[in-house]
Amino acid sequence: MTLDHRGGDGRPFRVLDIPELTVPSGAHIGLRGPSGSGKTSLLHLIAGLIVPSAGKVSWGETEVSSLSPSSRDRWRLSTLGFVFQDFHLIPELDILANITLPTTFSSWRVGPAEREHAEIVAARMGLADLRRRTGTLSRGEQQRVAIARAVCRRPAMILADEPTASLDAAHADEVGALLVDAANEAGATLICATHDAALLARLRRRLDIKAATPIMEQAA
Amino acid sequence: MNPFAMVLADLRALRWTAAAIVALVALAVAVGVAIGAQERALRQSSAAAADDFSLLIGAPGSQTQLLMSTVYLQLDAIPLMEGSVLQSLARDERVAAFAPIAFGDVTRGYPIIGTTAAFATRWGRVAPSEGRLFAREGEALIGADVDYRLGESITPSHGVAGQTHKPGEEAEDEAGHRHAGHDHTIVGRLPPLGSPWDRAILVPIESVWEVHGLGNGHAQGIESIGPPFDGVPVPGVPAIVVKPRSVAGAYALRSQYRQGGTMAFFPAEVLVGIYRSLGDARGVLVFASTLNATLVLASILLLLIAVTGLRRRRYAVLRAMGAPRLYVLLVIWIGMALLMALGCITGLLLGGAAAGVLSGLIEAQTGLRLAISLDKPEFLQIGLLFVIGTVLSLLPAVASFASPIASGLRD
Repeated sequence: MTLDHRGGDGRPFRVLDIPELTVPSGAHIGLRGPSGSGKTSLLHLIAGLIVPSAGKVSWGETEVSSLSPSSRDRWRLSTLGFVFQDFHLIPELDILANITLPTTFSSWRVGPAEREHAEIVAARMGLADLRRRTGTLSRGEQQRVAIARAVCRRPAMILADEPTASLDAAHADEVGALLVDAANEAGATLICATHDAALLARLRRRLDIKAATPIMEQAA
Repeated sequence: MNPFAMVLADLRALRWTAAAIVALVALAVAVGVAIGAQERALRQSSAAAADDFSLLIGAPGSQTQLLMSTVYLQLDAIPLMEGSVLQSLARDERVAAFAPIAFGDVTRGYPIIGTTAAFATRWGRVAPSEGRLFAREGEALIGADVDYRLGESITPSHGVAGQTHKPGEEAEDEAGHRHAGHDHTIVGRLPPLGSPWDRAILVPIESVWEVHGLGNGHAQGIESIGPPFDGVPVPGVPAIVVKPRSVAGAYALRSQYRQGGTMAFFPAEVLVGIYRSLGDARGVLVFASTLNATLVLASILLLLIAVTGLRRRRYAVLRAMGAPRLYVLLVIWIGMALLMALGCITGLLLGGAAAGVLSGLIEAQTGLRLAISLDKPEFLQIGLLFVIGTVLSLLPAVASFASPIASGLRD
């Protein structure tokens, strides 16, 4: 599988060139590599947010990279939880509404069972008073809400992009532990791009990604 | 799918921008509605005021001036025509009814109009709401808005051409022109007609003639009022209203009385001319209000493109979490639709209120009652604004679907 990008000077760059990568179900994988090496691009490829220039991405029997955009949306909703470096919460909504937001993508109401489950997950993340708007929370709390949002629907796979990079050391350790515990409890595959040595140490496998390589331009 | 949580979040995030959008839409709608409703009301009310005046006959001169004087009581010095016209109309088979209209005198700023009892009731269409019709000289019937009581007595003063009278207020020089010894007693009041005649004081035409020393228009010794006017000679009058028996008769009368020292016309034909120039003014207003609506839409669109640009990442995050495109579109559309709807409703109320204030001013000035109503054109205009505005608001989102979700996350 390869992914090419055009750089600022118009020259194509091969961001990723991965002959083959198979991730066993339930594995915890830490992605590391220098900035710009394509960690985020790999996560986006796996999530189907971009499609590879060549090759394919499959989830079990499903070839995600060749699904139609709307089937890919459905697959993503039913399979994935995504944790971003900058949390990407909806600051105008309260904690509970943020955690249950993905449910409203597919159903009209958040049922009492789902609400209760969301409250349990939030409690496990150490979040109290779920009526607070997330815009008012500390960064550590915001990332815990983001993790709760990602794991609440018991996804088969959790993707995390530098989940601890914007937190101070104490919060980073706490959040890292919560993320790995949550993945364990859900039995989910966890793929986590990070520079954080403490977080990498918690993950059972580690994958190094090399820096991007320029492609020889072909004569037109 | 339930986009309302995100709609709420978006509206909370917009806050002042949302208020600005509502205010802009409200302003655009208000201007459009006020202009449209006002212009239509003016047209309908002025046409309705002329309803009982099928055919007007007067001395040759300006048709518009005669129309404004008789129908809208914007009194002016009008030349008199021979009173013998009244006699020939009385003999004419094509005439169902006719009434002389004489004006010129005022009291406390109210015009005093001499006519017949039949025309005072608008050919029997209305009856006095209080008291009775005038039955002899020296009696007067007042319009609904005239501030006199029944039984009170009035003394007419000779009006001066070009002078403006404020109804209900005695002008300084009224006292100097009083017709001494010609008092009238008020015996009745008419119901509201919605026309300037609500401010008039109606007296028998004979009284007006007598006040000016022209006799009473009847044969010697006859003191009754109303037709036939068989005096020798019959005094002149500025205007005669004719109710023809048939349409063909109306046209024949019109052409007959266009010769021999008189002019005759249908008020409608003069109004059409006035409306045409009104229509030109309206065209300018409509153009201005369309321009106004376009500018409002453009500024809303720019606001939204800016906002959606800022939100590109937010919507990309929703997509990354599995939200379908339809969800994102619904969030944007419902949010915009709510703001536009609020703006349209506010604008309707504002526009209606503005038109109401404007008609109040016009009524105070002219006595013409304007009934403001909202009709198809206004709703069509608002509907169009709503549809175009909400559809345009989707464009930035639709455009963003062309590029992969990941590019929205990176911004």
